[in-house]
Amino acid sequence: MLFLLTALVAVSLVSLLIGAGSVGPGRAMALLSGSQDSEAHFIVWELRAPRTLIGIVVGMALGVAGALLQAVARNPLAEPGLLGVSAGAAFAVALALVLGASAATLRISVAQLGALMGCVCVLSVARFRGVGNDPIRLVLAGAAFSGLLASLTSLILLYDQRAADEIRFWVIGSLAGRRLDDLLSVLPSMLVASIIVLLIARPLAALALGERVASGLGHHPNLIRWLVVACVALLVGAATAIAGPIAFVGLVVPFVARAFAGPDIRRTLWFCLPIGPLMVLSADIVSRVVVAPSELPLGVLTALCGAPVLIAVVRARRLPML
Amino acid sequence: MKPTPVRSSALDAASTRPARISISPPQGYWRLAWRSRHGDQSVLLERRAVTVNASLLGAFLLASVLYLSLGSVNVAPMGVLHALFGKADMMANFVVQELRLPRLAAAACTGAAFALAGILMQTLARNRLATPGIIGIDNGATAFAVASIVGIGVSIAPPAMALAGATTAAVLTFGLAAGSGTQGYRFIVAGIGVGAVFGAVTQLLLARVAIDTANAAYPWTVGSLNARPSGALQLLMFGLVLGLITALMLARSLTLLRFKDATASGLGVNVKRRRLEVLLLSVALTGLAVAVAGPVGMVGLIGPEIARSLSSSRGVPITAATLAGALVMVLADLAGRTLLAPIEIPVGIVTAVVGGPWLLWILMRPQRSFT
Repeated sequence: MLFLLTALVAVSLVSLLIGAGSVGPGRAMALLSGSQDSEAHFIVWELRAPRTLIGIVVGMALGVAGALLQAVARNPLAEPGLLGVSAGAAFAVALALVLGASAATLRISVAQLGALMGCVCVLSVARFRGVGNDPIRLVLAGAAFSGLLASLTSLILLYDQRAADEIRFWVIGSLAGRRLDDLLSVLPSMLVASIIVLLIARPLAALALGERVASGLGHHPNLIRWLVVACVALLVGAATAIAGPIAFVGLVVPFVARAFAGPDIRRTLWFCLPIGPLMVLSADIVSRVVVAPSELPLGVLTALCGAPVLIAVVRARRLPML
Repeated sequence: MKPTPVRSSALDAASTRPARISISPPQGYWRLAWRSRHGDQSVLLERRAVTVNASLLGAFLLASVLYLSLGSVNVAPMGVLHALFGKADMMANFVVQELRLPRLAAAACTGAAFALAGILMQTLARNRLATPGIIGIDNGATAFAVASIVGIGVSIAPPAMALAGATTAAVLTFGLAAGSGTQGYRFIVAGIGVGAVFGAVTQLLLARVAIDTANAAYPWTVGSLNARPSGALQLLMFGLVLGLITALMLARSLTLLRFKDATASGLGVNVKRRRLEVLLLSVALTGLAVAVAGPVGMVGLIGPEIARSLSSSRGVPITAATLAGALVMVLADLAGRTLLAPIEIPVGIVTAVVGGPWLLWILMRPQRSFT
């Protein structure tokens, strides 16, 4: 844990120092140690610092949401991006924009509503005639659903040029150009979600032992499930509202966290907190450096590291049932 | 339109008997008999296959006339027929012959190629979800073709690069799934992973170039008939004809490949060799089609599904699937051009919107045997 936290601090520092523009690590370092450089000051504190903070929050939200969804679907492949939760959020935002909404605060609740719809759709598919018994089949259904929503979103964007201009850079998933205000406006819902997670962590661990054990221990499995779904929707909706749909973070982060923490969901959730930001920030840094002076969408890089993990999990001889 | 003589039993091409004995054909078959130098020859035609192929062909021709007549300038269906032979007024001649006919040809050929590749791959993997689009081969071809379009200094023709990309993706998917076989859902999800990597690579390539080049390449990455590289269509037509002939020649082995390996080789199929041939054919068709229209998803799934639901389960409905693919693609592009006019919806988005629910329905159906 200590190692992870140190790594997170180091990556945040690197994220402040490195960028696609002309202010390199040297100038940024000089600024941090007290020099007067107005250009560097603007770039580091006005552009990179908010971006780093947003990356940390988005990483935490997506990582925790992935771990929660995997626990409740009992499926190591359940991932908000793959199962269409992020796509649901993006679709809802696009739809709202076409119908005439444009306020930034509205976007967040709309995204969360869309994420909730996506979650409910996918989980009801999971309960449908034995799809849930086969983890891989659920992922396939989720991928189909996600692809459908993505094409509907691009259909909407084609139809409405104004909406397309407004969210073109948002819909591909990136941390560039997000303001601190966006972050502040999602903090309340993140806070609510964290409180719920803290409250249900124990019952959730009991649920991992099986439905009957959980109700024998005095918990209500259905209530827990609905709370988890609500949490995932709040977290993924908020993260998507800031950064756009980003896939594979919710798959990789719990996967790594479980390697550190073992099977207990409570420990896994704690480990997700530093690992999520680590992944998002590293991907973001690489996205700034690879094609400098332009930048890469964040989703591209998370897909590049996430897809091999997906393949590795699928290739494992026996899929670990959660 | 000659239906395959393949669905026959041991009776076909049967008699070299000296005396002509009339054998009544089995239930549901027509028997075509003729006399040649080598004696009496006969071929059994399955009635249902003939009807299905004929009606699909009819539907395709009808859709083609509609395709040629509708658009920003409407030409009456009869006017289309006149314009095809250059006998209408100049405007109609130009619109039909110069603008819509090449596009119709591209739509029909890509649809046919995707569907043919789809049904070959499905039969090969014994998995009805294993279409080239779903297991990442489309995306591989796209990534390589985009590389050749935006590539720095390299000017290899997009079709060649698309072929290379399709091969790479196929090798990766089959290689990664080698342990678990191709029949389950694992194979498909491994393919989705491979597809995601190549999709990301495509984005990466597009991010490196100037915004104008990237914008020009964008409709093509979702699958569109707007940006057809010159020469790719002729190559695709050539490949499609060749591929269809090869597939029909392989049809009997394909029917047997649906069984277990032991059964198939017991019935005289060189399983490994046939597999490799079918795989190569499917990959080549996918690569050529992607070079024309980009990764138009779901046609490789919908075409074979339509064909299978219409045909009997005796053989692999190769021609029916090809025709159904062409029909679906033509209708999808027609819808994309006309529904939201003057905005044009890329055909890949139309097929994804139609095909997504279809795929979900297949997944949620109670499980049946594959292929």
